[in-house]
Amino acid sequence: MFPTVSASGLTLRYGGTPALDDVSLRLEEGVTGLLGPNGAGKTTLLRVLATAVPADRGVFTVLGHDPGTAAGRQNLRRELGYLPQTPGFHPDFTAFAFVDYVAILKEMTDRSARHREVSRVLQAVGLSDVRGKRIKRLSGGMRQRVALAAALVGDPGFLVLDEPTVGLDPQQRMRFRELVAEAGEGRTVLLSTHQTEDVAMLCRRVIVMSSGRIRFDGTPAELTARAAGRVWSSAERDPGARAGWRTGLGSFRNVGDPPEGAELLEPTLEDGYLFTLDGEPVREAAA
Amino acid sequence: MSDTLTRTTTEAPARKPVPARGSGTKAVLALARFEARELALQIPVVAFLALYLGLTGWSLYKNPDDFPVLHDVDRATQSLPLLLSVMLFVCVNRAVLRSRRRGTDQQFDVLVVEPWRRTVAHALSVVPFAVITALVVLAEVYWAASRPGPAGHPSPAELAVGPLTVLLSGVLGVLLARLVPTVFAAPLFAIAAFVLTGTIMSVSGNPHWLQWLGPVVMEIGAAPLPSDLLGRPAGWHALYLAGLVVLMVCLAVLRSGGRTVPVKAVTALALAATVAGVYGQSPSESEELRAARLEATRHPEKVQSCVDRGTAAYCFFPEWETRVKDWQPVVQGVQSLAGGPAAAARLTVRQRVDARYGLESQGSLEPASEPGQVTVGTRWGGNRIPEFAVGVASVLVAGDEESVLDMCDGRVVTTMWLALRSQPEPMTALRNLRIDDSVKGSAIVLAPTDPLAMSTEQTRIVSELLRRPRYSVIPKVKAHWRELTAPGTTTARVAEILGVPAAPQGTKEDDSCAQ
Amino acid sequence: MRAVAVPGPDLKEPTRVRTYPVVRALLRPVAHMLPHRALAAGSVLGLLLAAVPRLYERPDAELGVGLLRAAALAFALGAAFLLDDPARHITAAVPTGRAVRVGLRMALVAPLAVLWWTAALLLVPEAARPPVGAMTLEAAATLALALAAATAAVRFSGQSEPGLGAAGGLLAAAVAATLLPVPLGLLVPVADPGWDSAHQRWAAVLAGAVLVCAYCMREAVRPNASRAALTSPSGTSGPPRR
Repeated sequence: MFPTVSASGLTLRYGGTPALDDVSLRLEEGVTGLLGPNGAGKTTLLRVLATAVPADRGVFTVLGHDPGTAAGRQNLRRELGYLPQTPGFHPDFTAFAFVDYVAILKEMTDRSARHREVSRVLQAVGLSDVRGKRIKRLSGGMRQRVALAAALVGDPGFLVLDEPTVGLDPQQRMRFRELVAEAGEGRTVLLSTHQTEDVAMLCRRVIVMSSGRIRFDGTPAELTARAAGRVWSSAERDPGARAGWRTGLGSFRNVGDPPEGAELLEPTLEDGYLFTLDGEPVREAAA
Repeated sequence: MSDTLTRTTTEAPARKPVPARGSGTKAVLALARFEARELALQIPVVAFLALYLGLTGWSLYKNPDDFPVLHDVDRATQSLPLLLSVMLFVCVNRAVLRSRRRGTDQQFDVLVVEPWRRTVAHALSVVPFAVITALVVLAEVYWAASRPGPAGHPSPAELAVGPLTVLLSGVLGVLLARLVPTVFAAPLFAIAAFVLTGTIMSVSGNPHWLQWLGPVVMEIGAAPLPSDLLGRPAGWHALYLAGLVVLMVCLAVLRSGGRTVPVKAVTALALAATVAGVYGQSPSESEELRAARLEATRHPEKVQSCVDRGTAAYCFFPEWETRVKDWQPVVQGVQSLAGGPAAAARLTVRQRVDARYGLESQGSLEPASEPGQVTVGTRWGGNRIPEFAVGVASVLVAGDEESVLDMCDGRVVTTMWLALRSQPEPMTALRNLRIDDSVKGSAIVLAPTDPLAMSTEQTRIVSELLRRPRYSVIPKVKAHWRELTAPGTTTARVAEILGVPAAPQGTKEDDSCAQ
Repeated sequence: MRAVAVPGPDLKEPTRVRTYPVVRALLRPVAHMLPHRALAAGSVLGLLLAAVPRLYERPDAELGVGLLRAAALAFALGAAFLLDDPARHITAAVPTGRAVRVGLRMALVAPLAVLWWTAALLLVPEAARPPVGAMTLEAAATLALALAAATAAVRFSGQSEPGLGAAGGLLAAAVAATLLPVPLGLLVPVADPGWDSAHQRWAAVLAGAVLVCAYCMREAVRPNASRAALTSPSGTSGPPRR
């Protein structure tokens, strides 16, 4: 399969700190999850790929478009749907008007075709009933779906979603995952998240970042497999563990190199993730 | 992207073709349409649009009797659109800042329509409001032109000012938002602009060039001037405003990243147009204009043509030819009541203006000294008609307008009776003619040139005469014409001749000469 | 913000006793939160306008009246942003009530307003200075109108940043005031015989605005139907990280 997105050597510094440090990746159709602790550079990578900010060094193409030229960037943006981490809204707009506005900004000029498309995406995110309501009267989950509809409108080939499930309740999150999974059919979706379940449930591939670098790139199963034989249970916090936390049952779950005779547990994706973040501030990230 | 990028070969696109999309221009137009709709839903815009329409409608119905002078009507359309302009300025500014205020910049900045094209769309969103203004302005002029007896022609450049100020305020709102991206800037800027144009610039008495830098220069005077004496650089001013509109749009576009060669070229062109407009409108009245104004004031006959109708010749400035048919019945009506030689006297009705001090001159006309010459102004309709009747009557009675100045005796009664009896509603006309709107006591009476004074007794006699049927007074007037119009005939004598009983108590000061 | 003590159990005293230390502790952070740029812009523009008569050789009182009115409006437009508080939805639930929070902001601006108005009056050359008392009444009424608009917007629509709407409303009111028919006119010239009666109307405007302010500073204890419908903050799942 052709890679739809391919980047090499992306580097971006804020002041002296590298937010992206020589990142290279290739994405294909389907949903790819981007995991990593806060400050790992996930959002920066997404912003670079979404052409919101240019990288200091490195190149990338999306669906064959090179954002290094003005025309290439325009063409890329014609293929792009972007949902930022904290999307803004125009509270006095209705859901329909807001998405319609974004559709115009995506150069959809034929009015009736555009309105059909806006109706379609609102239907897809399950907002048909409230399309005439002003955004200020919608709940947080609905607003998030409005933002997703705005990203989806125009059927973009490359969808960049920055922590789209934050602030959603479990039911809303399930619904949202379904939407993203649907969106991933026939297009490339790059999704950053703190939720390993998100990745486990809907991603074909997962990339783990920390300190601006890619630490892992593979399937969720491969990430889980990394922790095979490296998760064990103990009565006390094991000082030799890379990460360990108290479970609800009172025992400690540890990830790392298990001592002799330890009671090994079946690894989860989260264990694999924590194991991968070798030496990183794991406890904060896992919280 | 920075130049440090090293290019690699790009992979082949691996996806179905892009969904059908319009061109960039179409996207801008679609966005402009969206933004215009949003603007039209803003309460302040709706309220002030309604206010503009309402006040315009009211101004059309306010003076239903005035005969329009179209080269003044055009100018009168300019001030009310300023109401709409203020609110459009604030609301457009707010619309441009919307994304920034609500944090949608981050989403929208990666969309295909770049910020500079959004700027263009915001500027274009004002166009429908300018079009509405233009339609209102055209309706005003059409209304005026379809009323009886319009004089002159409206100037397209003057008519363009209203819509152009609406456009200008909108694009200023866009530019301000791009230069100072805070919401409190716009209201403050509006006040500063109001004070700057209203108090500092467009005030009469200021240097001509400074006055004309403001968007609207009203210049309202007592009476309309012939169009060739206006001396308003209307064309240059419209060019200045149009140039300014385009210049503001270009600056806003440049500011929001559209630094393309065509934009720069248009900016240069707009700047040139603006400068040309300023250059053209800045010089104050030329010597020729001043001379022409003086000549039209002192020797109107040199620029007028005359037509003979019945006993009178009517001389008018070129644009007022249609008024002759309105003047003629008034002259005939008054003259038919007169007796003696006056009934067939040859009159010259001459239209006059005082153009010496330009459009804003408030002075009244000097009485003419030529015998048999009656002055008529450039305004007509409403109260102007009985005033003209007073002018005609006083010349028939006194011989010429200058002699009317000394007229304070019984002739005032004759004059006023002649003038008022010829009117369809004499008592209403009497009330309207008198400055204090009274029908009793002494008062000043308006006439085309200097006013007349009526004493209490003269007022009483005239009212009494007007109450009587025409046929009972007319024969007496005709029969005693010579005595009634002789200087020195007292008011008491006139009353006696016309059969009005003397006042109950002996009035000492029955002639207005005493006052 | 450190200055605000975390209320411990020992602070369970009657409200009156607690208000004073809270106000004292709040002074500095609230002063820090005021919309400095809007206030500064309004003040500076106002002073510039008040100084305009100095450009004239023979300024008259009519010019002074017009410019002082514009100056007062400029200051009031800046002050309309006084209640803008992006964190309003957070502070709405603290025990220190809206009256204290809003009142404190107003109280902090009051001395500034007095100083500013004195400076504006002094900037107008003596020859062009209109009756000071009457103009002060007009300026106070204008400022009160701006604040009334802002407090009303906070109370009835629950906006966290009512400034723009209040400023727009004030500007619209000012434009509309120029169109008032003579018997109701507010913007009368000094020489007008209606000057005194116009200032009775100004006093009424001031009183009305102050009443509206006072009313809107109270917090509704019982649910207000209109307000609930407007802002129903649907559930706990607000937009992320706001």
